[in-house]
Amino acid sequence: MGKIELKGIVIIVGNYGSGKTETAVNLAFHRKAAGVDVRMADLDLVNPYFRTREARHILFEKGIQVVLPEEKYMNADLPILAPQVAGLIRNPAELTILDAGGDDTGTTVLAALADSFVGRDVNLIQVVNPLRPFTETVEGCMRIQEEIEASSKLKVTGLVSNANLIDETTPDIIYKGYELIQELSHQAGIRVEFITAHEKLLPGLDLSRFDTPVLPILRQLVPPWKKQGL
Amino acid sequence: MAKVLMKGNEAIGEAAIRAGCKNYFAYPITPQSEVAEYLAKRMPEVDGVFLQGESEVAVGYMIFGAAACGERVMTTSSSPGVSLMSEAISYIAGARCPAVFVNIMRGGPGLGGILPSQADYFQATKGGGHGDYRLLVMAPEGVQEAVDMTMKAFDLAEKYRGPVMIMGDGLIGQMMEPVEFPEDFTPTPMNNDDWATSGMATRGTDKRNLVKSLFLDPKQLNDHNLLLKAGYDRMRQEEVRYEGYNTDAEYKLLIVSYGTMSRVCKTAIDTMKEEGLEIGMVRPQTLFPFPEQAIHDAAAKESCSHVVSIELSMGQMVEDVDRCVKGQRPVTWYGECGGDIPTPEEIIDHVKSLLKN
Repeated sequence: MGKIELKGIVIIVGNYGSGKTETAVNLAFHRKAAGVDVRMADLDLVNPYFRTREARHILFEKGIQVVLPEEKYMNADLPILAPQVAGLIRNPAELTILDAGGDDTGTTVLAALADSFVGRDVNLIQVVNPLRPFTETVEGCMRIQEEIEASSKLKVTGLVSNANLIDETTPDIIYKGYELIQELSHQAGIRVEFITAHEKLLPGLDLSRFDTPVLPILRQLVPPWKKQGL
Repeated sequence: MAKVLMKGNEAIGEAAIRAGCKNYFAYPITPQSEVAEYLAKRMPEVDGVFLQGESEVAVGYMIFGAAACGERVMTTSSSPGVSLMSEAISYIAGARCPAVFVNIMRGGPGLGGILPSQADYFQATKGGGHGDYRLLVMAPEGVQEAVDMTMKAFDLAEKYRGPVMIMGDGLIGQMMEPVEFPEDFTPTPMNNDDWATSGMATRGTDKRNLVKSLFLDPKQLNDHNLLLKAGYDRMRQEEVRYEGYNTDAEYKLLIVSYGTMSRVCKTAIDTMKEEGLEIGMVRPQTLFPFPEQAIHDAAAKESCSHVVSIELSMGQMVEDVDRCVKGQRPVTWYGECGGDIPTPEEIIDHVKSLLKN
């Protein structure tokens, strides 16, 4: 397993509920801790709850700048794209993470930003959780990938396995997720950027089984009866 | 079947399919639109139908039509949408048709907001539409229970020949939890030949069936309402469901709470228990029929000095709680109704302040 070395513009996409925001926020923390200048934007125009904006306070605390819709529109179910996003893409930080919405519907917004992406190195990262409906198989993941590429007018450049059942995740789930993402990588000809595993699970995992880096996860998007950051 | 990770909205859609429902009509509204998204993909796979109506008013009557034909049928909506369906719900209850309604509640009144709420408690349990009808109302606290209740709802709708409602606050629809569907479940829809307008040729009979809610003769209408009432009385006997939490302890105060709000209360109760303060909770799983006896008896416990109804509304369920406690203990309300959900810490502070006074 190597190190995560993603830089430039990283757009996190994937099917609905694959864990894009949790991955994006944890990736931001991980890179920030490594001394990288990180900025984020919440591009989720389709999900009403559990978006990057829900983790904004902890992101701010860690010194990560987040572009969000205006406060007064924060809880509107309107597809509001903050105008600063285009500026963020034109003047990216060392690592600029754009957290898109789920499915092809959620990535349509990227086509609207196409002009800003011209001439830039864009990493489009597909997050996969095989325990979610419609992405249990390589075929399902490929289908969603094609739909996302068609709606975003961008090509997926990297893959992330985010196999989990939240608190009920076992090492076996992570191993199986790894196998699926390797198979998807093989068939689609796209590299695996990293896989994720909750910090608590790391000591029990045989890391030698992975050729890819592992991003440790602490849950930041939790319901109100659970503690954030555990 | 192994566990999968699902949003409440998706899980409710899948549960309907597993329960043999092949008719789903709906109109999108936040925070329940994922049910329609999910079933738009899934229904064609099982030879079922998803039809988006031009409004919730239309959807209500699509449900009526399909239910009158004896088909398993469901719709999902959120608060303002359910208001629009309320006329049809009354007609469906009056015409004694089984149907499943799901309300993933958002803030109100009016357009309100898109965040979680439980402010449709009165609408669901006391009326909404006109006339002497009741809805059997179930309120899940999480995604697995939403699955179990949705599947059960179809059986209950047929048992009582009437509409059944699943009430979830927005969080139930939006949050993801591991969930499991029963492996060997075979839905057994009831024999509805004696009432459904399923076609005389289909039934192999020359007897016509008529589904109606119009009774011009006063005696007939009164008898019809007595028949409905008998069903509601039977629900009170047979369908009351609730969970007692820490009710074996000598609790100083009793909380009554349901849905995701009760999950926050459980965390608060666990924390207080660690500190040596015992608090009990009754969580109604059915809002109608209401767990009247359970709340009455739990409030009567000698160690209990106070009962508080904690809900995401400005004090609706508290009226039922008060009715059940029958003056044995003071009954008060605590909650929020803007979209924010009280935290475990806020509940602990409130409980302690009640005990101090």
